[in-house]
Amino acid sequence: MQDISLHLLDIIENSVRANARNIKVRVIRNVQKNRLRIIVDDDGVGMDSHTIEMAQNPFYTSKADREKKVGLGIPLFKQNAELSNGCFKMASEPGFGTVLTVDFELDHIDRMPLGNLKDTLLGAIIGHPEVDFYINLSTKDKGVEQSFHFDTAAIKEELGGIPLTYPDVIEYIDQSLFEGIQNTNMEDV
Amino acid sequence: MKTLADLKKIREKAQEEMKLRGGNTRIKIVVGMGTSGIAMGAREVMKTFLEEIANRNLTDVLVTQTGEKGLSSMEPVVDVIEEGKPKVTYGNMTPDKVKKVVVEHVVNGRTVSDYVVATGN
Repeated sequence: MQDISLHLLDIIENSVRANARNIKVRVIRNVQKNRLRIIVDDDGVGMDSHTIEMAQNPFYTSKADREKKVGLGIPLFKQNAELSNGCFKMASEPGFGTVLTVDFELDHIDRMPLGNLKDTLLGAIIGHPEVDFYINLSTKDKGVEQSFHFDTAAIKEELGGIPLTYPDVIEYIDQSLFEGIQNTNMEDV
Repeated sequence: MKTLADLKKIREKAQEEMKLRGGNTRIKIVVGMGTSGIAMGAREVMKTFLEEIANRNLTDVLVTQTGEKGLSSMEPVVDVIEEGKPKVTYGNMTPDKVKKVVVEHVVNGRTVSDYVVATGN
């Protein structure tokens, strides 16, 4: 993985596979605290404490049909966070969803870039019309907070039965995310 | 700034169109978005499909994402599903190949056999 938003995409796919219907994604850049925090909070099936531990092991996968027992998504994300003096936390309970919190030291030389957050979120939102996404981006710098909220449930309600892949809707979501990312100074993090 | 009022206009326009041609999805595209697919460029593949749909104003195409299906060595992998036809799976996809698949397969109905890695179910 070359950037943080690719990891984010991978984690969102995990949530979808855990049958989440609501996924909250938060990206918080706090300049004073020198921290970039990613939170993914889902209402999927959740995991027991044993599975949480196993999920961080590269030789574990929840996919029963996989011939080679390899699952690199979570271990690589964790490794990349820890390489930049950050940390990786997963909290979950069967039946109560999963919350994943990943911190990166903002100005650490080994921190990977945030990458293309817009295309990541656009693909996830349109590619999973059955899931409602709550996106929250915020930048805190010199005591000023700029934030952006995007709630796909409200959009789907307004659209009635029009699919998210309708051309004008793709452009609408793309443009909204673009503006939100610009307004919170997330385009070049 | 985009507002919900913009969506209302989009909905009205789309509903008018659907009255004219019916609201059916003609073709469904599924982009594999497992860990190895993502690492090999599936996000850009997905984005290119969405761009092409928007630019060409294709109103009867659906694009979704799914997890891995055991074709890791051929990622990014894309399924093209049309009613009454066997599923076509394209492998080793790139944004350029996506553009070709959209023109040839989605618009003109001709499978791009060079990129096919599997057919049927």
